[in-house]
Amino acid sequence: MKRIWLGLLIAVFAASAPIARALPPGSTAPDFKGTDSNGVQHNLGEYRGKFVVLEWANRGCPYEQKHYKSGNMESLQKQWTDKGVVWLSILSDGPGQQGYVTPAQENDYLKSMHASPTAALLDPTGNIGHLYDARTTPHIFVIDPNGKLIYQGALDDKPTPDPASLKTADNYLNDALNAAMAGKPVAVAVTKPYGCAVHYGN
Amino acid sequence: MKILRTIPALLLAILTTLTPARAQSTVVGDGGSGPAKAQHLTAEMQSLGPAIAPGGTQIVGLVLTIEEHWHVYWINAGDSGEPPKITWKLPPGITAGPMQFPIPERLPLGPLMDFGYEDEVAFPVTISAAPTVKPGPVHLDAQVSWLVCAQVCIPGKAHLGIDLTVQPGAPSPAQEPKIGAVAEALSLIPKPLPASDKFSVIADNQRFVLTLIDGKPETDVEFYPYDKDPTDVIVNAADQDIETLRNGAELYLKRSPDLTTLPPTLHGVFKLSETEAYDVTAPVVPGDSAAMAAAAERSHPGSGALGAIGLAFLGGIILNLMPCVFPVLFLKGLALVQTAGAGTAEERGEMRRHGIVYALGILVSFWVIVAVLLALRATGSHAGWGFQLQSPVFIAVLASFMFFFALSLAGQFDIGLSLTSLGGSLAEKPGYAGSFFTGVLATVVATPCTAPLMGAAIGFALAQTTAVTFAVFTALALGLAAPYVLLSLQPAWARLLPRPGAWMEVLKQLTAVPLFATAIWLAWVYGQLYAAGDGVNQLAFLLACFLLLAIAGWALGRWPAMWSSRITALLLIILALALPLSQGETATRASALGAGAATPSATANPAEVTWQPYSEPAIDAARSAGHPVFIDFTAAWCLSCQYNEKAVLKSADVESALLKGHVLTMKADWTNDDPAITAKLASVGRAGVPTYVLYPAAAGSAADVLPELLTKDLVLKAIERDSK
Repeated sequence: MKRIWLGLLIAVFAASAPIARALPPGSTAPDFKGTDSNGVQHNLGEYRGKFVVLEWANRGCPYEQKHYKSGNMESLQKQWTDKGVVWLSILSDGPGQQGYVTPAQENDYLKSMHASPTAALLDPTGNIGHLYDARTTPHIFVIDPNGKLIYQGALDDKPTPDPASLKTADNYLNDALNAAMAGKPVAVAVTKPYGCAVHYGN
Repeated sequence: MKILRTIPALLLAILTTLTPARAQSTVVGDGGSGPAKAQHLTAEMQSLGPAIAPGGTQIVGLVLTIEEHWHVYWINAGDSGEPPKITWKLPPGITAGPMQFPIPERLPLGPLMDFGYEDEVAFPVTISAAPTVKPGPVHLDAQVSWLVCAQVCIPGKAHLGIDLTVQPGAPSPAQEPKIGAVAEALSLIPKPLPASDKFSVIADNQRFVLTLIDGKPETDVEFYPYDKDPTDVIVNAADQDIETLRNGAELYLKRSPDLTTLPPTLHGVFKLSETEAYDVTAPVVPGDSAAMAAAAERSHPGSGALGAIGLAFLGGIILNLMPCVFPVLFLKGLALVQTAGAGTAEERGEMRRHGIVYALGILVSFWVIVAVLLALRATGSHAGWGFQLQSPVFIAVLASFMFFFALSLAGQFDIGLSLTSLGGSLAEKPGYAGSFFTGVLATVVATPCTAPLMGAAIGFALAQTTAVTFAVFTALALGLAAPYVLLSLQPAWARLLPRPGAWMEVLKQLTAVPLFATAIWLAWVYGQLYAAGDGVNQLAFLLACFLLLAIAGWALGRWPAMWSSRITALLLIILALALPLSQGETATRASALGAGAATPSATANPAEVTWQPYSEPAIDAARSAGHPVFIDFTAAWCLSCQYNEKAVLKSADVESALLKGHVLTMKADWTNDDPAITAKLASVGRAGVPTYVLYPAAAGSAADVLPELLTKDLVLKAIERDSK
């Protein structure tokens, strides 16, 4: 009888566990494993010692297209990977959802857009997305060489699909990486991300 | 199929890399009045009325008729999306106000939440004409952009327009007939809060609690915040728990983990129904949302209270098995044996009455303790269950009583608490006082042995209305009394026992042993209540008290039933008690423990688990460093706590799991009253010890409260679960 009650109590406590996880700035970025569009496995831990940028992407989203069709995202990727930053594009849309692509489709897209992330991780189960509470595309996370999260949020301060906004936009990613590489603290560590919702599968 | 899709995609890719960046959606409409059909919606600028007076106003509106399953967004779009925008080109003298947004709805999208509109929506705009505008037709030109989404998002643009006639004497908007999409939208704009209503906001680390008082019970409310920069203030997707009040509602909103400091005010739309909403603003007052949630339960004593009452009754029954209570039950059991074989109706009736008086003793003692506890809490003291055992005076008196009682049982003297008061000839005084007092004793010794199930019930009960609190404790008392009362009502059972004889005397003397043991344990607790070196000295005083009690007992035994010996004994007892009680308020452990904050052993801790003293800053430091925190709320006088610690928490498996998980282990010692610890207990819904709280590694997540009776398996699973 006691066992049943204990079981009930445990169930109640377990059920009250929170769903969303918060990642406060400066906390250790959660480790994850992912397979990229070339079938290669990556895990965050292997990039300890380097800056890592996580970019949630979805080619069909107008906000993404603002950055990709204008060449903005591609030039950011080239600029930072040349400086030794590891750039991981992550696609967390579930099978059957808009944004879900096969590895071949992703490779075609990257080639045609001249995009050069270090790797594009395909996350159809949404595990990595849920781990980081990735909500929109684009949603940017910057991790420093010690594995600490130094920026999370929007790519820039213009939440609009209009490419004209890029001319005057303040790019938060550049700000964060420039500050961190110069050894200075990142002034803006959290912003509200904008974009289309990530289409998690069920 | 694939080829057909890749070729246009390739072409598009080639074209876009060659051509300069350009807005990829085409603009529908030519600026003339009338609807413009775009992807998934039709956009039109409509007016409430055709004319506008010089110096007057008119209301126009952007009307969007949206394809089924698609939606557009509110001014705060939520987790994703963007509201529509209008850029006006107006003739001189004509100005346009801001877009107004009607009551939105929640649009869930998987784990995310957006705020917006489906089917049809209109955004009213107030147009003003300067008094100098000449009468005649005017054309208002509007460049409109929006984002319309279902699974995908399609940005859209339209070039719309509307013609008005500037005409002196034209009716004002208030005089216009209220028909059409613009009129309907106007009625759906959130209104300012009437002066008779009140809106207030309290917030803490977990939640915002919004209270709206409007004179009638509201059951279906929602809140839409305007604030979204730099981060959201609430978790948009989280459920909004409603507490309906007699005259309004309370809404519990989950605070966004991205929010570092509380905003000074909260501004948003408080939606009461599809057609009724208020535009509300209030200063954000830091407060205790958990306390409010508990207080909210007051209006619904229903199932929560019934559950607690049931748990309390069961807990009471289980309490009978605890080492504290068992000797007392044993004594009463002996009384039953006394009447075995007697069998006459009167004696059976005697037995029943004693059972009921015993139960009454327990009930009354519980009521007294709860009354005192509630009175203390009402005056602001943060007393919890077991508070009586935090007082050295109480422990000294209780230990002395135990010792004295044990002396009586051992045979040193006979004080009317004798078991031979039952049975035998009816001419003897039926020791009802004895039974009642045994009930009181059972209650008093039961407190330190918090049985499983009791902790949650008590924590719940103390946060409720007085009536519910008493109901729960009455159930507990009845549970405690139940086994003996049932036995006393079943005379048939007694016939199974052996016949009375000399063995009963031996048994009576044997029961003195657990009572002496309890006295020793209480003496140990008494010593623990004082700061390190002093405890031993204080204990010596208590032992001297015991000596005097033994002498008093001898006097009573040497000259039984004589007033002179009774008075002598009484004087000796008073002198005895004066010894420990005269020591006054010397430094107790609480003050000694209060000093200093512990540094969390976040990185190092080699081979040993050390239990740091309770410290709120240390908890915060460990949590923000991403380490789980295990808090053991314990007290010296709590036997279940000692058992859990020795058997489970100090076992090799659990210790290695704690080290592996880099768990900060903290012992919150509640032996003496400590308001900080009492408050922390209350914040996890408990009012006594033992209580075990494991804060998971992920910051911002809620506390994981473990059951009172620990098993290794339970603790290991909890550590594993919360280390992630």
